[in-house]
Amino acid sequence: MRSLPASPPRLAERLLTGALSGTPYQSDIVGDLRESYDAIARRRPRYARYWYRIQVIALAGRYIFRLRFVTRKRGSIMDRLFMDARYAWRSLMKRPATTAAIVVTLALGIGANAAVFGVIDALLLHPFTIKDVDRIVMPITLSPRFNGHRETVSPADFLDWRRDLTGGSVEHLAASEWWDANLVGRDEPERVLGFHVSPDFFAALDGRAAIGRTLLPEEEVLANSRRVVLSDGLWRRRFGADPAVVGQPVLIDGAQWLVVGVMPPSFTFPQQAEIWAPWSFDEKTARNRSAHYLTVFGRLAAGRTIDEARAEMSTIALRLAADHPDTNADLGATVLTLSRGMADVGVPPVLALWQAAGLFVLLIACANIASLLLARAAERGREIAIRLALGSSRGRIVRESLAESAILSVISIPLSLAIAAATLRVMQASMPARIVRYIAGWDRLGLDVWTIGGTIACAAAAALVFGIAPAAHMARSALADALKTDGRTGADPGRQRIRRALVVAEIALALPLLVAAMLSVSTITSFITGWQGYDPDNVLTLRAVLPESRYPDQDSRERFTRRAIERLGEVPGVREAAAGNIAPAIDSNAVRAFDVSGQALSEVSKWARADYRVVSPRYFEALRLPVRTGRGFSEQDRNGSQPVAIVSEAMARKFWPAGNAIGGRVRLADGVWLQVVGVCGDVIHDWFTGRTPTLYRPLAQAPTDTLVFAVRTTGDPVALVNAARNAIAKVDPVQPVFEIMSARQVLSDKTVSLRYIATVMAAFAGLALLLALLGLYAVMTYFVSQRAREIGVRIALGATASDVTQLTLAQGARLTLAGVSIGLVLALALSKAMEAGLLGIVSSDVRLTLGLAALLGATSLVATYLPARRAARVDPIVALRAE
Amino acid sequence: MKALEIYLGELEQHILLIVLRLGDEAYANPIGEMLVNSALRRVSRGALYTALERLEVKGLLRSTMGDPLPERGGRARRYFTVTAAGLRALRHSRSVLLGLWDGLESTLETR
Repeated sequence: MRSLPASPPRLAERLLTGALSGTPYQSDIVGDLRESYDAIARRRPRYARYWYRIQVIALAGRYIFRLRFVTRKRGSIMDRLFMDARYAWRSLMKRPATTAAIVVTLALGIGANAAVFGVIDALLLHPFTIKDVDRIVMPITLSPRFNGHRETVSPADFLDWRRDLTGGSVEHLAASEWWDANLVGRDEPERVLGFHVSPDFFAALDGRAAIGRTLLPEEEVLANSRRVVLSDGLWRRRFGADPAVVGQPVLIDGAQWLVVGVMPPSFTFPQQAEIWAPWSFDEKTARNRSAHYLTVFGRLAAGRTIDEARAEMSTIALRLAADHPDTNADLGATVLTLSRGMADVGVPPVLALWQAAGLFVLLIACANIASLLLARAAERGREIAIRLALGSSRGRIVRESLAESAILSVISIPLSLAIAAATLRVMQASMPARIVRYIAGWDRLGLDVWTIGGTIACAAAAALVFGIAPAAHMARSALADALKTDGRTGADPGRQRIRRALVVAEIALALPLLVAAMLSVSTITSFITGWQGYDPDNVLTLRAVLPESRYPDQDSRERFTRRAIERLGEVPGVREAAAGNIAPAIDSNAVRAFDVSGQALSEVSKWARADYRVVSPRYFEALRLPVRTGRGFSEQDRNGSQPVAIVSEAMARKFWPAGNAIGGRVRLADGVWLQVVGVCGDVIHDWFTGRTPTLYRPLAQAPTDTLVFAVRTTGDPVALVNAARNAIAKVDPVQPVFEIMSARQVLSDKTVSLRYIATVMAAFAGLALLLALLGLYAVMTYFVSQRAREIGVRIALGATASDVTQLTLAQGARLTLAGVSIGLVLALALSKAMEAGLLGIVSSDVRLTLGLAALLGATSLVATYLPARRAARVDPIVALRAE
Repeated sequence: MKALEIYLGELEQHILLIVLRLGDEAYANPIGEMLVNSALRRVSRGALYTALERLEVKGLLRSTMGDPLPERGGRARRYFTVTAAGLRALRHSRSVLLGLWDGLESTLETR
């Protein structure tokens, strides 16, 4: 008795059965193949499945495209379509150069769109690889005072949400908070990106430990909270992938922490985190509703929808607003999906801009192709007229024309995908790793099923767009006219009108792209090279985060900072050394609510806000940030003396419009009154917000645990990196410093993403310009060749070469002018949209727009000039001999 | 010789001869194997089915379905037999070929 037969791949078998449906041989062919499969599988099971799939693809292809159309009775719809396709294929292959030109043009257009779609897919649609990602939600606080109206969550609100949502529509509610963990291992201390998370964090995100366990509910209590879970990357990098590290203590922030588990390589959420510890809280924290710093995650309970969760959250927020009017009066709450919640608010407008640019390029490509196809249709005018006269149906000819378009699209798809894949690889490779972690999904940039599907849909749409004009033209072409003309003059006014319109459209679409690209480039250039408010040359910056366990109080922090500044100042080549909680343009900020005396409001939530800086005495000198009036900070401003502040000009103007800022008083939320002793210049911290009101305090009066050292050097600041690192190590050998770089580098890094936008836009614009010029050139060349006889007659009648050149140039100039005029309107509209969509970092520039319009016009005339010169060289005898 | 006598291509000849040789066991799989082993020609499955179908349409082959078999997932085999017209066409092809070979043996053997 033989054993049970092996089953071939089910999907493949089903595909084959489907492909053979309708043939009388379906059952026996499937059976034959299965029998052979069985025989092969007994010897080589793995190969057999591969073999079977190959057979199925070959057979299915053959039967769909051959048996079905060739041997069935003629006249069925499929049969006719197949005939059309074959005819179209032959006609395309007869003109390989034109076909290749069309396919390449189309592939560039579609490839550009596929690349943008790939980015959108990775960043917006599928940024996470977490299982059931649609079920993961982010409850957030809504606040009218915030950009985008969303805000992180206060501890007391989170705890209330968690209590009230229990048994409701969201489960595993977990808070997370940024944690700069200072890890000390065998070699030098290192700052590691970590997060304090509620123990339920892992359940919400479906994260299971690869070794050991994740966090337990009782570890949320302060006393049990010295536990960490390591990422796979950190475990390999710092602990040599030693499984015995679980259960061992490690030194972090100067204290012993117990390693309880290691996550699998796939779990690095959020932001490629490397270490997680419990988010624990004391009595005071649990009552805090005014400080918003938690990011909250949760998972929708089985069978519940996000709408139910939103409704539930609104109810809770309303109750909290009623119970705690001081802090929650104007706060709401809602629930976002993880993809929405983690997306950078700046990303969607940029991607929308790219997609619009991609679409423009594709439209220009389509216009070019339609124009080429129309020219071909003109050449074939007589052939088609004869076929019509012999009784071919108009429908058949239109179908053939559409089939040509469809085939062109299909051929261009693989090339488009190759272009898109190459583009995405370049984009991915050129983004620094430091930035990548903030862009969820960037590491997975590439072609996936969605992108390929989008590409195919895009190709199909393109085929429709560029196929319609030639097909419509064929449907209308009058039989008698086509036969009357001799096929060489081709003076068909309708067709020429369409082609002119297409050229106008191309130029009109290219101009806004050029303007958008130039705006992006000029904006970013001005960011880097423009006014900053301080002198970023010859400045080295270093960052450090002091752990609470080693620097528990203000005194210890102040002592470390002072001694570090002294040591840095002793390094040869250093002019000034200073420190602050934040340095200009670094990728974090500190903001405080304050109240100006005389304008007191009772509710802290309605107080004004300003950027908050705590700086050492020589900070202004080190950065060459001018103190305009009053005085700078000095050693006399120390703990215990009168609390003082310096305000920026923007803040002085806003709150003391009469110019009496000095002597004014400012109250912070913790109740301290500060006396304003000076006004300093503004600094651009973030180009999105420009000159923001900024409040400076002396470091001695408010020591901070997050530090940025700014060192002004006599020469190249990068040369002092090691010396500066050693200087800090002399103060505390286990204190890590990170992001040691020149202030110029900080500026440049900050614009990486903006440079990206500009580069991509410039690429689109270049492509659009190239395609538009090629289109214009092709059309003008064609017109000249079509009018050869007319030009010959003119020359025979005494027209000079320059008359003829002018005639052609004038024709090209009219098209260009029409295109540029329409393009100007589009360009102005687009730059306004960019101004609005990109949060005001781009401002529209009429002079730039007009300049580019003139440039485009001039370039177009050059593209026209070559055919015009050819027209002038028409030999009247040759042209007329054709009569 | 009749002008409308069906002319057989080489593959068609091979297939008809193999069907005759296989007798009661002539279905697609052994036909394909024999093409490889005896005629030394590797023909894709699709081409084989197309050829079998064409021969049947021309009336040179006839097919009958066997019983469903478990190793074929409950599907039957299609067995082929050569029709009278098929035999006639084979004989005709053979005589054409023999006629062409006739008298050339010495030339082909000495060279």
